[in-house]
Amino acid sequence: MSRKKRERGHIRGIRSSFTAEDGKRGLSPLRREYFFGLLLRLFSALSLGASVFSVLFLILYILGRGSSVISPGFLTRAPAGLVLGEEGGIAPAITGSLLFSGTAVLLAGIPAIAAALYLVFFCRSRWMRASIRLVIQCISGIPSIVLGLFAYSFLVRSLGLGRCVLSGGAALSIMILPFIEMRAEKAFLELPQELLDASTAMGCSPAWTVKKMVLPYCLGELISALLLGGCFAMGATAPILFTGAVAFSAHPKSLLEPAMALPLHLYLLIAQGAGSLRTAYGTAFVMIAVLLLCRLAAAAYARYRERRWRG
Amino acid sequence: MRKMENRLFIGCLLLLLSLTVFLLLFVMYFIAREALPTFRELSLFSFLFGERWMPVDLGGEKAFGIFNFIAATAAVSFLALIFAALLSIGAALCLSCFLREELRDFLCSVIDILAGIPSVIYGFIGIELVTPLFIRAGVHTGSCVLAASLVLSVMLLPFMIASLSESFRKLKERYYPGAEAMGISLSYTVRSLILPQAAGSILIALILALGRAMGETMAVMMLVGNANLFPRILGKAETIASLIALEMGSAEAGSTHYHALFAAGFVLLLFLFLINFTIGLIRSRLPDIEEERYL
Repeated sequence: MSRKKRERGHIRGIRSSFTAEDGKRGLSPLRREYFFGLLLRLFSALSLGASVFSVLFLILYILGRGSSVISPGFLTRAPAGLVLGEEGGIAPAITGSLLFSGTAVLLAGIPAIAAALYLVFFCRSRWMRASIRLVIQCISGIPSIVLGLFAYSFLVRSLGLGRCVLSGGAALSIMILPFIEMRAEKAFLELPQELLDASTAMGCSPAWTVKKMVLPYCLGELISALLLGGCFAMGATAPILFTGAVAFSAHPKSLLEPAMALPLHLYLLIAQGAGSLRTAYGTAFVMIAVLLLCRLAAAAYARYRERRWRG
Repeated sequence: MRKMENRLFIGCLLLLLSLTVFLLLFVMYFIAREALPTFRELSLFSFLFGERWMPVDLGGEKAFGIFNFIAATAAVSFLALIFAALLSIGAALCLSCFLREELRDFLCSVIDILAGIPSVIYGFIGIELVTPLFIRAGVHTGSCVLAASLVLSVMLLPFMIASLSESFRKLKERYYPGAEAMGISLSYTVRSLILPQAAGSILIALILALGRAMGETMAVMMLVGNANLFPRILGKAETIASLIALEMGSAEAGSTHYHALFAAGFVLLLFLFLINFTIGLIRSRLPDIEEERYL
C-alpha cells in the first residue's frame, strides 16, 4: 500500500471513534487535521505546478516564436537595414558574447576555484572561514549595474583601457566569481573523507592529493560550474552596458576592442519597436538555445565523469 | 623539497583567495571615490530625500534628489518578494516533502533553468505578454510597478525554491522518521514541525531574494515606465538601477550628474551590504551543521 493511502486510512479509522461526541461542534479535531493537510498539499502542488508551468511556457514561447526567424543567414551575417537590426543577422553579437563570457570565465575561474579549495581543505579557523564566506556572499550581492559602474570608473577610466571586451569581461568575471566559487565548494564537499584520509595515510602531501585526486574527482562538477558561469555572464547586460558592449561593430579582432553582445543587441532591438520584433525573437531564440545546450552539455559531462570515478 | 612545493601551493591559494577578498574592498573604494564629489555641491539630506531629479540645466535649477528612486526600488522589490514567497514556499514544500526523489530531482533542474534565463529576456516577455494585459485593464502604456514586480517575482522563484527546498529536505530527514514512528502524518509533521523550524531559513531566503530584486536592472527597467514619480501600484516609477543604466551613457564624465549616479549606486550597494550582514547575523544564530574536509 502506498504511503498516501495508508495515511488516509489511518486518519479515517481514528476519526470514526471521535465523531460521535465531536460531530455536533463543527469539525472534529481529526477531521480538521485531515482538511488542513489536504489544503496544504493542494496549495503546495498548485504553486509547484505554477512554477513549472511558467518555466515551460517561457521557454516554449520564445523557442516557438523565434524558430521561424532562424536561418543560416541570420546566424552568419551582420545586422543590416534602414533601422539597424531589422534585417540581416546577429553574427558579430554571437562572437562578441562568446568573447565576453570567455574572458569572464578565464578571469573568474582560477581565483574562484582556488578560494573554494582553500576554504574547504586548508582553512582551519572557523572564524576566518565564516568571514570569507561573508565576503564572497557580499560580492554575489553586488548589483550587476554597480559592477558596471565600478568597471567603468576603474578599468575604462583610471586604467585607461577604454570600452573594450577586456573591461566588460572583467566586470562580468566579478559577477560570476561567487557563483563559480559556491558551486566548486559544493563539489569539493561531496568528496568522501575516507578518500582523503587514505591519501594522507599513504604519505601524500596535501598539494599532491589536490592535484591527483581532488581535482580529477570533481572535474565534471568544476567544468559544469565554469560552463554555467559562462552562460550566466553571456546573459548579463548591465555590467557591459558602458564598459564594452556597443550597438554595432564588426567581429572584434582583439580583446582591446569594443564588441557587440547578444543581450544588449536584444535590448536595442526591443527598444526600436515593432519593426525589429522579428529579429528580436530570433536573438532571444539564440540566447535560450545556447543556454539550454550549455546546461545539457554540463549535466552530461558531469554525469560522464561521475560514472568514471564512482562506478 | 616536497614541503616547499606544498607550501608554495598553499601560498598560491591564499594569494588568490586574498585577491578575491580584496576585490570587494576595491569595488567599494572605487564606487565611493567617484560618489563623494557629489556632496561638495549638495547636502546628503537633499540627495537622499529630495524628490526632484533634474541633471541637465533646462532653464530651471539642477537638482539631484533620489528619494523617489529609493522608494520605487523598495516598492518593486517588496511586491515581487511577496508574490515570489507565496509561490516558492508552497513549491519548495511540494518538492522536498511530498514528491518522490526522482521526480523531485527532475523538477528541481527544470525550475533551475529559470535561474539561467537572462533578465533581458524576462523584460522582453514582460513587454510582449504582461504589458498588453495592463493596457487592456486601462493602464496607459501598460508599464507600471505591478507589471515589473510580477515579472521580477518569476525571476526570484528559482533562487527561493532552491534554497527553501534544500532546508525543508534537511528538516524532513531529521524529523520525519521519528514522527512517522509515532504515527504522525506527513502533513501534520510539515505544519507543526518542519515549517516552524524552517522559519530562520525562510527568513534568510526572503532577505537574499530581496537583495537580488533590488539589484535587478534590465527586466525592471523595461517594465516600470521610468518616470521620476512616487511609486503607486499602477503608476510608473524608476528604480535606482534603471536610473543608472539609463543615464550613465549620457552623463558627462566628472560632472555632478556623473558623481550623483555613482552616489546612487553606492546607496544601492550599502543597502545590499546591510542585507548580507543581516543574513550573516541570522545564520550565526541558527544551529548549523557545517561540513568539513580535512587534508
